[in-house]
Amino acid sequence: MRDLLTLAPHLTPVSISTGVAVALVGVLMLLHIQFAGFQQGGAMLVTLFDFLGMVRKDERQTRFAHGMVKSMAIAFAFGGALAIFAVMILFTGLWSHFWVKLLRIMFWPLVIEAGAFALEIMALYTLYVGWERLGRVRPLRIGLGLVLTIDLFVQMLMINVVASYMLTPVGAFNLPLLLINPTLIPLEVHRLIGNVAFVGALIAIVAGVRMLRARTPEQRSYADWMGAVGAATAISFTALQPLVGWEYAKEIQLHAYASWYTMMLGGLSVAFLFQMFLLGLILTAGIFYFWRRVRTGGLRSPTLALCAVLSLGAWLLGSTPASLAWSYEQVFAANANVPIWNGGLLIPFGQMIPWKLTALVTFTFVSITAVTVFLREVSRDHLRWGEARRHQALALITMGVAVSLIMALMGFIRENGRGPFLITNHMLVNQQQNFRPPANNGPALGGIPAGPSLILGG
Amino acid sequence: MANESTRSKLAARMTHPVSRPLAIVYRWVDERMGINDLLYKTLYEAVPRRGAWAYTLGSATLIIIALQIVTGMFLLWSYVPSTTEAWESLNFLERHNEFGAIVRGMHLWGAYVLLLVIGLHMVRTFVSGSYKKPRELNWITGVILFLLVLGLGITGAMLPWDQAAYWTTIVTTHVLSYFPGLGHWLQEIWRGGNQVGPVTLTRTFAIHIWLLPALLVPLIVVHLYLLRRHGEHGAWINYRGAREEPDGEAAAPLVHAEPPYPAVPSDPGYAVPDDLDEFFPSQVGKDSIVSFALVLLIFVMAVVVGSPLEAPANPATLTYVPTPEWFFLPLDQLLVQFPQAWMIAVGTFAIPGLASTILILVPFLDRSPDREPWKRPQLMVPALFTLLFLIFEALLAVNRLFNL
Repeated sequence: MRDLLTLAPHLTPVSISTGVAVALVGVLMLLHIQFAGFQQGGAMLVTLFDFLGMVRKDERQTRFAHGMVKSMAIAFAFGGALAIFAVMILFTGLWSHFWVKLLRIMFWPLVIEAGAFALEIMALYTLYVGWERLGRVRPLRIGLGLVLTIDLFVQMLMINVVASYMLTPVGAFNLPLLLINPTLIPLEVHRLIGNVAFVGALIAIVAGVRMLRARTPEQRSYADWMGAVGAATAISFTALQPLVGWEYAKEIQLHAYASWYTMMLGGLSVAFLFQMFLLGLILTAGIFYFWRRVRTGGLRSPTLALCAVLSLGAWLLGSTPASLAWSYEQVFAANANVPIWNGGLLIPFGQMIPWKLTALVTFTFVSITAVTVFLREVSRDHLRWGEARRHQALALITMGVAVSLIMALMGFIRENGRGPFLITNHMLVNQQQNFRPPANNGPALGGIPAGPSLILGG
Repeated sequence: MANESTRSKLAARMTHPVSRPLAIVYRWVDERMGINDLLYKTLYEAVPRRGAWAYTLGSATLIIIALQIVTGMFLLWSYVPSTTEAWESLNFLERHNEFGAIVRGMHLWGAYVLLLVIGLHMVRTFVSGSYKKPRELNWITGVILFLLVLGLGITGAMLPWDQAAYWTTIVTTHVLSYFPGLGHWLQEIWRGGNQVGPVTLTRTFAIHIWLLPALLVPLIVVHLYLLRRHGEHGAWINYRGAREEPDGEAAAPLVHAEPPYPAVPSDPGYAVPDDLDEFFPSQVGKDSIVSFALVLLIFVMAVVVGSPLEAPANPATLTYVPTPEWFFLPLDQLLVQFPQAWMIAVGTFAIPGLASTILILVPFLDRSPDREPWKRPQLMVPALFTLLFLIFEALLAVNRLFNL
């Protein structure tokens, strides 16, 4: 043992290129985000549908809640393993400098995070194993679902404390300010909504595939109903994202301008534009599904048709690039800061204000209207479950895949928007692999002493 | 329901004076004023049995409004509505008066709890579809009462003339100037000139203690009269209409209905609750428990937290960060979201104005006979979005203000 220790380098990270380290951690975390998002949004839906199943005595809703619990238990096994792998191997092995510093600053949030993780295991597997038994005392099962929901909310809040701090570490000398930093709540709300929308989208994908593969009327009926639940959930919650996303971007603009510039006008602006494209695709596909599904039920809905047209228009408007270049720097460098019809590279219809803003506002109102009209028809029993057509199943799958893509893309933009920093203005990405700890108590984070005194708010 | 003899016994217990001379006096007064009849009408009424705890919020609102009036009257004994003495008078109340700080604290926490309780009362009414025929005017007066209470909240926040009050006055009266066309005129009327000053405080004081209460009290009377006229609707769980029974069976309870049911004109399935209870003592008992708990909460908050009084107003300060009252946080955040100055009127007047109008018109927008929330998605879904929007805006505002 002693020999091994003497052979080990002095707590330096594993020697590997920065690019490979970033790619490894990036891919793993983007995968992990999807699993974690599924758990968080899923727990909310389990509790809601178990409750609705009890109140409305609807066996289908109870079956749905049970199916969600089973999916969550299976997904948790893999997602949990990813998280453990990330922490135990990748962070400690590749970015040990960052990880130790972060752990010292964010000790308590990460302790709470780990505690919530342990509680999640207990609550989720109790629900999974004891679903039938707990069903004898239904409020108890719903209560346990609520515990799981709150636990996962806390878990996400803690990790958002860390993630938002890395982007906007403005209160580094004050623990409350450090925790409740400018982007914490916008990120929390953004991800909370996004996770529920994501689960809705996954449900829509599963329902779409089941619709295409169903062999019995009962299978078709359940898949059709599930598709409607998934689409309504995904579109309802995605409808709120333009507003919350706008607010999040505004806080980044105020407190981490360089990151905001990178995302909106710099190297990541193309990724951001692709995000607008995906948002339009999600909403247009979802609204198209609503419109056609109602039509299959024998009802003509001019409102839904209008919503589909408006959504399509907003999609085109929102996806229009602001310039024919990767970034504004290239536009300026080419001395082409004039509209294309004057020989420049700018496309005025692609500007954020007023055009993209108009598209976002349209998305919100059109989506809310479409969901409302669709649910009204459902509530009046105008739809017979099991009648959905093939193109409706494909619309659901398209919408679901687009939501999954946008989840990954948003994570990518958020994590790369800070570049070249791991912690904005405090720690560079490329400091990780060539970092050597000095002899004294350790370097400051850009002049900020990162030690227990900071953790205690001293 | 209780029979006549039970009622008489209960009434006798309620109204019987403790001694003979008092009984004589009481009989003399009763013969002239009809107190017994009034008590009968006030206390004996059929109410829906199921969900009774949810129906306590209306009476709790009334009790807290009464508490606000009482504590407000006590504050008036000391408060001086002048820019030079307002802060001094409250500072005296806080530091040198035996119960002044508690009374002031109760007035503040009473306002906070009142807004919460009214909000919950409105949500309950909305979810249960209690605004439907024939109770449209109950809803409309209720919404106006809520808006008036909001007005009382914001004008009350301006009165202490400390830093918070002064800058609230500056911001509120400045926001008014964005009202299209009439903005500057309205601002001048409220401010009493171009600048915030003594006249502004006097006018705000007058609005708070005279204008708004003068509108509030008659509206409460109308609201209560309408409640009595049409009876408590409760929730869909009390009615046959929710269970979609044949018309004949749904109409059967109409024959045996007790006053004030059936409220006319009503949807047959929702005209008479299936199972009725006495307003007194059953519902009154529950109302009393909830109201007492809320008043106790207000008292505890007044004693433990109290009512803050910041430094005296200082127009020359460069460091003070004004923050709105919590119930205006969503509106404050909405302002921030508009990227250009000309759009401010949209956030301050167009959207809130439109939202208030839609809220008032709810009974006319939802004309379906259904009362169950899941059968009314045309209203429930937009309402849920609006509620989520308000919560998110408030959270975002807290985060933003915390980091200023």
